[in-house]
Amino acid sequence: MIATVVDWDAILQVIWVSLLSGVGVTAAWAFALLGWTRALEYGRDRRTGEAVIYGAVGVVGLGVVLGAVVFGILVLIGD
Amino acid sequence: MGSEIIVVIVVATALVFDFTNGFHDTANVVATSISTRAMPPKVAVAYAAVLNFVGAFISLEVAATVANDVVSVQANSVGLLAVFAGLVGAIAWNLITWYFGLPSSSSHALIGGMVGAVLVAEGADNVFFADGILGKVVVPGIVAPILAFVVGGLAIVFIYGIIGRLRPGPVTGGFRLGQVISGGLLALAHGTNDAQKTMGVITLALVAHGTVSEANFHVPDWVVITSATAISLGTYVGGWRIIRTMGSRIHKMDAAQGFAAQGAGATVIMAASHVGYPLSTTQTISGAVIGSGAAKRVSAVRWGVAGNIVLAWVLTLPAAAAIGGVTFLVTRVFGTGALGPIVVSTAIVVGGSVLFARRSREGAAPGVVPAPGVSS
Repeated sequence: MIATVVDWDAILQVIWVSLLSGVGVTAAWAFALLGWTRALEYGRDRRTGEAVIYGAVGVVGLGVVLGAVVFGILVLIGD
Repeated sequence: MGSEIIVVIVVATALVFDFTNGFHDTANVVATSISTRAMPPKVAVAYAAVLNFVGAFISLEVAATVANDVVSVQANSVGLLAVFAGLVGAIAWNLITWYFGLPSSSSHALIGGMVGAVLVAEGADNVFFADGILGKVVVPGIVAPILAFVVGGLAIVFIYGIIGRLRPGPVTGGFRLGQVISGGLLALAHGTNDAQKTMGVITLALVAHGTVSEANFHVPDWVVITSATAISLGTYVGGWRIIRTMGSRIHKMDAAQGFAAQGAGATVIMAASHVGYPLSTTQTISGAVIGSGAAKRVSAVRWGVAGNIVLAWVLTLPAAAAIGGVTFLVTRVFGTGALGPIVVSTAIVVGGSVLFARRSREGAAPGVVPAPGVSS
């Protein structure tokens, strides 16, 4: 009975969206922190190349977080 | 005229329920931010209240589910009385569980109360047990806390893996900053899911009154605004209680765990709101907090919280349904006019006041502030 009355597509949508956004956004924030922290450390040591690469990681991580938040809210507003 | 008075009583009762929902759930929304010191308590509470208000405006899928897919009421005074009795069932069950310190879910109490009242008032044909209750309440309600547990656990594993051996100072500061985002999203998600349940019930009453047509279903703007206001006011007022009890009941977690738990809870609730599932936000957030704690150290988790979720599941739906059904019968004793709701409302106010007075004399209720589920 459960198999027929439950909208499994919707349940699966909730599951994959939650996993992707919940884990993805938190991981992206962790990458942003990693990037910024390391970029500052390498910058202090005058290792410009590494600082730039880690800075880019930080920027991308932050961009992913902000993009995901805005996208999620826009999807809900569109309901 | 009689039905107008009943509508006013139903709307007022629903808004009181909404206020108490916000009041009760403030702890779930702000405790993590406060305990990790991501935000000062007063700021966290005000921030949550504002985003609760905003969240209520961004989707109406859950309201549509509550109004259309769980029960159906006739467009007459009996239908109105059924909605009233369902609300009373939910409020009474919340009062009883608060008094005795039993675990409960406001969302399940609301659904249970409606089901019980409509079952007695209009018969089983008007209760959508399979597609509505099983498909849109029970199964999603079981999936959500487990999913939040898994997401919270995986998130913290990834976080610890990525930040590795970074110095704790900047990392803690960074995750506290992240909690401004994740805490805001959690408050937004809470407003989106919980405020909409009240909107759905009020709209159901308007359908019973004939103000809103079932064929042309919509949630009126004033319903959205009043529901959003009630839940955000409840969150704000409830927050002062949390601030007073800080330090004694809320257990510490690190900022990364708080960020992971809030992010997991927010994403599960928002994803469920998108497809119209009325979840227990308390249970979902608890699942996320337990998951983020278990992934770090299994012994740090207060597994009793998980047991409470199961107990709440077993008790809340049938108990609130029984009270809703009995309330309808009591209300009908006074006919189909406004007298029944007036008498029952008065009884609930008096009964609630007595319970508050007794509890105040005995001291704070056990479990008045839901602990996040992880100890330091």
